[in-house]
Amino acid sequence: MVESSDEELCRRIAARDADAFEVMVDRHQARAYRLASSILGNEADARDVSQDAFIRLYESAGRFDGRSRFSTWFYRILVNLCIDHQRRNRWWRRLAPLASAGGDDPDERALDPPSDEAGPESKAMLTQSISRLRPALEKLSPQQRAAVLLQTQEGFTSREIGEVLKCSENTARVHVHRGIAQLRKLLRNE
Amino acid sequence: MAAIHPETELVPYLRGELSADDRARVGAHLEGCAQCRESAEASSAILSDLARAVDEVREPDWAEYRAELKRKMRAGQAPSAVIRGRWRWRRADVRLPVFGWPSMAISVAAVAVLAIALVMHRGAGGLQTPGVDQLELQQELSSTDVGLLANYHVVEHLDLLENYDVIEHLDELGLGDRQNHETPS
Repeated sequence: MVESSDEELCRRIAARDADAFEVMVDRHQARAYRLASSILGNEADARDVSQDAFIRLYESAGRFDGRSRFSTWFYRILVNLCIDHQRRNRWWRRLAPLASAGGDDPDERALDPPSDEAGPESKAMLTQSISRLRPALEKLSPQQRAAVLLQTQEGFTSREIGEVLKCSENTARVHVHRGIAQLRKLLRNE
Repeated sequence: MAAIHPETELVPYLRGELSADDRARVGAHLEGCAQCRESAEASSAILSDLARAVDEVREPDWAEYRAELKRKMRAGQAPSAVIRGRWRWRRADVRLPVFGWPSMAISVAAVAVLAIALVMHRGAGGLQTPGVDQLELQQELSSTDVGLLANYHVVEHLDLLENYDVIEHLDELGLGDRQNHETPS
């Protein structure tokens, strides 16, 4: 039996086909949860927000016009929910003593261009585990973090990242570049 | 001339996103630019670490995850109600207090009552407004006072005069009488 495409499932969901929704959730739950977990850095929030994304998918499936890939459309919903979630909780994180150590908005800070790097960095030195990457990731802006994670974890191109974040391809490239430059800077200063 | 580093194109270059022309241009730049080569290598290492990090995310019990999702969707008559209710609650959780129409109406009524009470208090014991009769009497007394003040130099010497009859008939007095009166012994 041929598997239905995401786009076909989405059309059936728009017609309130519960089975199609089950298949869609089963197909995307792991990726959605992992991406939300990577962006939010919290399992409970990732669970909650990714479930919200599926509920939103069920509600607005009729609005998917098929001009972009379903995955791009769905991850736009998910990433927007993640960014909204972080914005709502930002004021609280700023009050937390640990959060204040890293500064506020990385987008507002000047980033060192590659030419300012001091000394050679070998691949071995830069091999990080998630335990080291996590605190650094949390210091990126939501857009930078989403852009970097969509590229590395979901294999999205710059154009697709731009579609998810509703920005141009060049802006998506800037988000990725600044995100990675910021990660390098933070990891170097550890 | 300063070199233009293709910073934002390094990751797309590594991921094979660039067109053939752009790929050739960035590749040529990397051959001659140690800084960009180093930057590309460092970026490549971080990208692969991040990709590997996906495997370290602990996954939930998917059956439980889907059951919870169904519960959330059943919580309202329609999924939209679930979503709107949830978001409304969440926004309210961090929103500052907002005064709605009922609260505003109560506040306006309270201010009005206070203003009326203040006016009535002043009318009862504070600044008393004189009545019409009292006002006329005050005006009459004032005009009398003004007349006395106009002849103040006469009033000042009233005690030196014997009586008003003498003053009134002063021209009828004889010289001797007048001298006696003026130079009392």
